Amino acid sequence: MNQKGYLLKRILQMIFSYLIILTLLFFLFRIALPDPTAALVVEGLSEEERQLVQARFGLDQPLWRQYITYLVNFFQGELGISFHYRGPVFPILVDRLYNTLALMIPAIIVSYVIGPLLGVLLSWKRGSSTEFTGIVSGLIMRSAPLFWTGMIFVMIFGIWLGIFPTSGMRTMPYEAAHFFDKIFTLDFLWHLILPMLTVAIYYLGLPMLIMRNTMLEVMGEDFIELCRAKGLSERKIMYHHVARNALLPVVTQAAVTVGLAVGGQVVVEVVFSWPGLGREIVQAIQTSDFPLAQGAFMMMSGVVLVMNFAADMIYSYLDPRVGQGGGK
Amino acid sequence: MENQREKENGSFKSRIAYLKPYIASLLEPAKIIWQDPLGRAGSIIFLVICFIALFAPWLATHNPNEMNQRIEGSVISFNEDKEWKDYEIIGDDPINDMSSDENTVVAVTEENQVIIAQDDRWEEEEIDPEIELLAVTIFDDQIIAAGRSGQIAIRDNDSWEYETIPTEVDINALASSQDNSEVLAVGDEGSVFLYSDADWEELESEENQDLNAVDFSPAGDAIIVGNQGTIMHYEAKEITDPEYEAFGEETFRDLYDVDYSLAEKAFAVGERGTIMGFSGEAWYSTSGDTSRELRGVTVLAENNALAAGYHGVIQHFDGEEWYSLDRITTRGYRGIDFFENQGFVYGVDPYINELAPPSTEHFFGTNHLGRDIWSQVVYGSRTALLVGILAALMVNGIGFTVGLVSGYYGGKVDNLLMRIVDIMYGMPLEPFAIVLVLIFGPSLWIIILAIGLLTWRTNARVIRSQVLSLAKRPFVKAARVAGASNLRIMLVHISPNVLPLAFLQLAVAMGYAITAEATLSFLGLGPPRVYSWGTILHAARLSGAWRVAWWWVIPPGIFISATVVSVFLISRSVEVMTNPRLRGGNDSAPEPEESEDVLPHGQ
Repeated sequence: MNQKGYLLKRILQMIFSYLIILTLLFFLFRIALPDPTAALVVEGLSEEERQLVQARFGLDQPLWRQYITYLVNFFQGELGISFHYRGPVFPILVDRLYNTLALMIPAIIVSYVIGPLLGVLLSWKRGSSTEFTGIVSGLIMRSAPLFWTGMIFVMIFGIWLGIFPTSGMRTMPYEAAHFFDKIFTLDFLWHLILPMLTVAIYYLGLPMLIMRNTMLEVMGEDFIELCRAKGLSERKIMYHHVARNALLPVVTQAAVTVGLAVGGQVVVEVVFSWPGLGREIVQAIQTSDFPLAQGAFMMMSGVVLVMNFAADMIYSYLDPRVGQGGGK
Repeated sequence: MENQREKENGSFKSRIAYLKPYIASLLEPAKIIWQDPLGRAGSIIFLVICFIALFAPWLATHNPNEMNQRIEGSVISFNEDKEWKDYEIIGDDPINDMSSDENTVVAVTEENQVIIAQDDRWEEEEIDPEIELLAVTIFDDQIIAAGRSGQIAIRDNDSWEYETIPTEVDINALASSQDNSEVLAVGDEGSVFLYSDADWEELESEENQDLNAVDFSPAGDAIIVGNQGTIMHYEAKEITDPEYEAFGEETFRDLYDVDYSLAEKAFAVGERGTIMGFSGEAWYSTSGDTSRELRGVTVLAENNALAAGYHGVIQHFDGEEWYSLDRITTRGYRGIDFFENQGFVYGVDPYINELAPPSTEHFFGTNHLGRDIWSQVVYGSRTALLVGILAALMVNGIGFTVGLVSGYYGGKVDNLLMRIVDIMYGMPLEPFAIVLVLIFGPSLWIIILAIGLLTWRTNARVIRSQVLSLAKRPFVKAARVAGASNLRIMLVHISPNVLPLAFLQLAVAMGYAITAEATLSFLGLGPPRVYSWGTILHAARLSGAWRVAWWWVIPPGIFISATVVSVFLISRSVEVMTNPRLRGGNDSAPEPEESEDVLPHGQ
């Protein structure tokens, strides 16, 4: 199979997966809220008015029609009206997604620049106490729960030392015409440092350990032997030949991590009151805002799927063996 | 018959034989873990956590739900310039009354203890019968203490003597006249007793209310106050009702203390911040800026008085009005006493020992409700391990089966199962769990289910790739040629070879599940009233006290990290065996769970 065919196939697979997730979500929320007008009855709605409301929102239609409407609305970007904000869900979520990315992307960049460099160091110092310390601290960094490190950071740097703000993206009140106006300021940077470090430290261990492992594997390959035979310096072999080849899984992992970070790191946003997608979904649960929770989940799983796809594509681009014959 | 049994026996034995490779492949990792120093460290930590979880009821020093109270007798001393000293604990039981003169300061506690100050040290003296002492006064060289059921203890020349008043009513207060000629004792149901010349005499009063306090003026007359606004004046064995400027709601409230140490001027305090003043002729009501109960009042000098009461309230009178002073503690004071240059606020009511830093009583301190954090953490280990083990088994059960079937059959089956895995990868765990909780309500099972239903994806991929390579091995082909069924090949020939890898995945899944449980509980998705490390941190965050109460935040996090690290260390040493590439080197490499995702499926 050629590259193009592989690409097309993966795109189709992705869309299919997404459809299944949307379907799952539809039925999950139907279990949760079989009749959304039930809440309105409590507010004093008569039976007739209630049927009117049901007709207006298409709730009197058979389930499959509702499902079709749900999908059609979704592809038109209509994710419903938030109970809490009393406005369309989609623009709210897009805004939150930007906020989340503004936190996660710098954090991932930091961890995926420093991590692999440390990984090279570890593989270089194989068998030494440096390596031992590195591995153990890498494991500890991955084991300490994110929200806990976040709390400790807030306690030390925010409260005791008082050098960093402990919540939000900007000092309130502030005015920003648009998103970039909001984030290209020193104030934002100031707010970014603590949550970013929390996430970066958590993610640091993985690229470090992957880099070390693949470095060790690549070092055992024949072509490195050949390089040595050619008389290349150890430094040149390390950086030009070994590290370059070992970077492959790290880059792929970076893409997967972006997806996971957008969808998975709810807690950091909660601890630092960062107005992102994760905090929004937690608040949606607390206020029983079903459309918002549903929309946030759709958006998160969409990002995760796209980033997983991107990871596959990067991998198949960097390692052409994958596209052909591989990924069935 | 015999023959058949033999046959059965034989088949049973041969079945047992199938288990041998399974057992062997489970024992082998254990050996390897123990040989690796890091693996050994990991398993020791893990065993310790298991031990804590198993013996939680014995290791927990308190009931984790109990709001721990502290009971102590304490004083805060002050001088006439109202310079307050530190809160000082002087006994094990709350102090009910204090009295002082030039030489002696004496306090009595709820239990039968008298505490006497000597050379700046507090000496506890236990009196023999168990009297709940309510009042004390210094009368010449004697110390007179009285309490429940009319019991009286008199200390004369270092020895105690006991008497009981015939009517056996509780005696609530004692006061001795300033010229040391007489002592008044007042008690429940309006009883008033006079002590002079070593003899007790009951005085007639028309009151039925419980009387709470009595105080002499320099002139030798006294004021007695009690419940429902009772005020009586005493002079030369005669009890009379006083004059009032006006009657209002305030004049009928319970009064708890009175001070009459300046002639022609007195203050009485009582419930709901009531303050009554005596101008020398009539009583008038006034009030400070608190509505809390005031239990004691003392006059320091002309136009300088203090009142103390519930929840750490201290009111000051500057000659014109009463107002609150800054709180030193928020504990319930039982009274205030002043003599010449030194005074004491004393008490205190049993209080909730909230946000106490670590001590020998509470290893990890207490939280905002006075609950013992060590006990909560100990019980939390049960939740962590329960969720960890159940979720890991579920993850491994699904992942192993899917991986085995997918890798062995290949083709369409493989394709279908791997598409499902792809879909699973599209759903982030925490939001998925959040949605499940929104729908089904918070419970431990929802958390286990969320982890179990979603995270088998990694296991399935890892197992599948291993099975894929095994299925092509000659011994599998040989089995097939010999006529073994697919099920038999999968269970008997392939599974034992994948088991070490599955074991590794089990450990990784467990670490992941424990973190996930903590995370979800931290978000408040855990069931209420079940302690887990995540819920402890959730409560800490919710209370807002976590910003200062480090002892509340650090221990649960350390326990989570330690447990997860231990599992990672164990899995790391198993990996030495399962990853042949890494085995070749002089050192092994750890691979946390996601590292297996690095390669897209099919690799």
